[in-house]
Amino acid sequence: MPDTSASPIHVPTSAKDGTARQVREALVRSFVEYGMVWALLAVMTAAVVFHPRFLDPINLTNVLSQNALVGIVAIGMTFVIIGGGFDLSVGAIFALGAVVYAKWADPFGLWGAAGCVFAVSLVCGTVNGLIVTKLRVNPFVATLGTGSVFGGLAYIVSNSAPLTPSHLGFSLLGTGRLLGIPISIWLLILAFVLGALVLSRTVYGRSIFAIGGNSEAARLSGMPVDLLRGSTYMITAICSGLAGMVLASRLGVGQADMGSSIALDAIAIVVIGGTSLMGGEGAMWRTVIGLLILATLSNVFNALALSSNYQLVIKGTIVVGAVALDVFSRSRRT
Amino acid sequence: MDEARGVTHTQMTPPVVAVAHEDRRAIVAKGVEKRFGGTHALKGINLSLAQGQIHALVGENGAGKSTLLGIIAGRVRQTSGTIEVLGKRQGHGDPRQARRDGIAAIYQELTIAPALSARANVFLGQSYSRLGFLSERKMQHRFAELCTQFGVNISGDTPASKLSVADQQMIEIMRGVQSKASVVLFDEPTTSLAPPERDALFRVMHDLRTDGITMILISHNLDEVLDIADTVTVFKDGEVVASDSTAEWTKSSLVRAMIGHDLAAPAVRTTKQPHGGHRFSASRVCLEGAIDDISVDVSAGEIVGIGGLVGSGRTSLLRSLAGLEPQSSGILTIDGTAVAWPRNVRSALAAGIALVPEDRKTQGLVLGRSAAENVAMTRYSKVAHLGLVSDVAMRRAVAPVARDYGFDPERLEVAVRSLSGGNQQKILLSKWQFRPPRLLLVDEPTRGIDIGAKEEILTTLRRRADEGLAILLVSSELEEIVAISDRVIVLSEGRRVAELDGHVAPLGVNDILHSAFRVTHNA
Repeated sequence: MPDTSASPIHVPTSAKDGTARQVREALVRSFVEYGMVWALLAVMTAAVVFHPRFLDPINLTNVLSQNALVGIVAIGMTFVIIGGGFDLSVGAIFALGAVVYAKWADPFGLWGAAGCVFAVSLVCGTVNGLIVTKLRVNPFVATLGTGSVFGGLAYIVSNSAPLTPSHLGFSLLGTGRLLGIPISIWLLILAFVLGALVLSRTVYGRSIFAIGGNSEAARLSGMPVDLLRGSTYMITAICSGLAGMVLASRLGVGQADMGSSIALDAIAIVVIGGTSLMGGEGAMWRTVIGLLILATLSNVFNALALSSNYQLVIKGTIVVGAVALDVFSRSRRT
Repeated sequence: MDEARGVTHTQMTPPVVAVAHEDRRAIVAKGVEKRFGGTHALKGINLSLAQGQIHALVGENGAGKSTLLGIIAGRVRQTSGTIEVLGKRQGHGDPRQARRDGIAAIYQELTIAPALSARANVFLGQSYSRLGFLSERKMQHRFAELCTQFGVNISGDTPASKLSVADQQMIEIMRGVQSKASVVLFDEPTTSLAPPERDALFRVMHDLRTDGITMILISHNLDEVLDIADTVTVFKDGEVVASDSTAEWTKSSLVRAMIGHDLAAPAVRTTKQPHGGHRFSASRVCLEGAIDDISVDVSAGEIVGIGGLVGSGRTSLLRSLAGLEPQSSGILTIDGTAVAWPRNVRSALAAGIALVPEDRKTQGLVLGRSAAENVAMTRYSKVAHLGLVSDVAMRRAVAPVARDYGFDPERLEVAVRSLSGGNQQKILLSKWQFRPPRLLLVDEPTRGIDIGAKEEILTTLRRRADEGLAILLVSSELEEIVAISDRVIVLSEGRRVAELDGHVAPLGVNDILHSAFRVTHNA
């Protein structure tokens, strides 16, 4: 009902104008619905203009592999946000994953260390899920707090020093290639395909939409709301821990201060893609669009040698703008 | 804002109408049009309403009544056309300006600030103050006055969120009255009010009319409209189809104008004996502060209505049975076998008990998802293979269920948000046809929906019962309960005070009210 659109559009009433209006409305709708796809095309066009080497396969591969890890975290974050939650602790879990992998690669071997990362992440996610669903702490506050706890643990595990394991295969995961493409990109693709399939096609995914859209209605429909919501935090945590592990492998070192910007970036990616922070609405492909927009922008900025300080300012502005656009498009709905 | 505002109603009589006509027009609309995206909500409304009268707007949901009200109140901006209220142009989409021009609105969806006290809500944006400091004493005094005027007993310090929906509605109405406006708009003010509260509201409306205040009332209750309004205007599909003084209207002529044909005879209670199926019996149901030792039993094939006023414990009883009140206690038996008292929704569902909640938007539906999805979510497994949901299978499985409640299967893919209230309610009820329980608890199944949809829903509920479902029905519209229930249990102040059996003697609204009040007066 409420319509807060700004300018009164003068509307003539003849039939001819009627069809013109329909066309205009269809355009407006597609802009609201697919606005971010247009934005991506615009950004890419700008990239080609300002950064001639943008389309160079080597550059594209670099851009993707640099952003693959935050992309994987964002894919997990999509579950949390659509489920009506929020997770600020992903950066800390990311660091914990990196540190745990680096610390235990030597004693337990690569698979053993990866198993440790998985288990630790799962515990972190479970803690988040329990605090949010059982203690009913607001997810912002809950994960802000646990983020500090997990971050502290990462420093404790690493003794505040960079861990450089001597295991020969340690850097394989982060630097290896499969069919000429870095493994991290394959992981991103795998995470996306799995995430998209689960979110849009499975009973579980549909239930996440339901609890995010209206948890009371979901509860009355007999859904285990707490379990579903808690599980989204586990998914994000696992994505984050594994992504941190890949970064440690790529750099050959595990450090507790890795991943400081991961939380903001992952949330930015999800939101820019057009998934609603209100929960219940969004899609995995949107997260990929968001990822590509941010990745392209930072590639161009780097090529133009724009200082990372400015990049921070611009990124923050885009996030706020994207959320404002989401709120605006909601208010236009009847 | 200043102290002077608090004294009488009359001082605010419109300053603008210096250009006095004999028969002064309060509201004049010319060619008012409104489009929401692709929807043509108002198609050129021409309307002229006299000052100092109560004007009712009626019509099916989506006919455009609320939109027109929204334009007058500055909440919605019209697409074209002009609207003048007391000689001043309105429709600029600025609620503050409308308020300054003496227009107050009481909306259908409550606009209560939940964390503020009841009193603070009444004086929201219009507090008594001196030199910038609130005059709490004066507001307390005025609040008590308003409570007396409306015959309600609300503690002014209680946070609004702790009040019942009916009391919240009363707070909302008090705020509108307190605003000393010269035009007051009521958008379905009585949907959650019990008869005595309605009467109090109507008394207040009469007083306001005596003071020369113009009122617009939107209501689905035609008896109410014919009772209180001076003129009735009928809307249909965004147009005014007729506008006349109340004396010229009858209930049936209104219905004809609204829906274009006569209404079929109301659904009647079949005198069929209850099926031999399951028998649910809940006894000694208690919930601290809400219900005290209530017993109720209902068999397959039977609709048991729960009569009572708002606050009598009707909703609490249903919520307790549905597992939504973990603090509740009671003894539940199915066919004589004791079953654990439901502590959560899933255990209630396991016992075969499902609830259709009273507020479809906040409790019942996921507004952003499609109608089909909303129905299927009660049992996704039915439309999934190996955990993968098939949209095609989902639509195919949901269609017959939705059609049964009179929902057009073509619209199953539409997001529930953009459906009318009646269609939303049909989807809400279809959910529990898709995963049929053995006992269905239905709370206010027809609140705020149009007559056509109402009739379809009641008929379908009755048919469900005849097919062997046990139904426990709560409705503020006692006529509905009387029309389709086999038996009625009357609650008052959390206790069970009477049981009326429709197979022994015909049920009557008066009997229910009589029982509901007897105890109130003795207490």
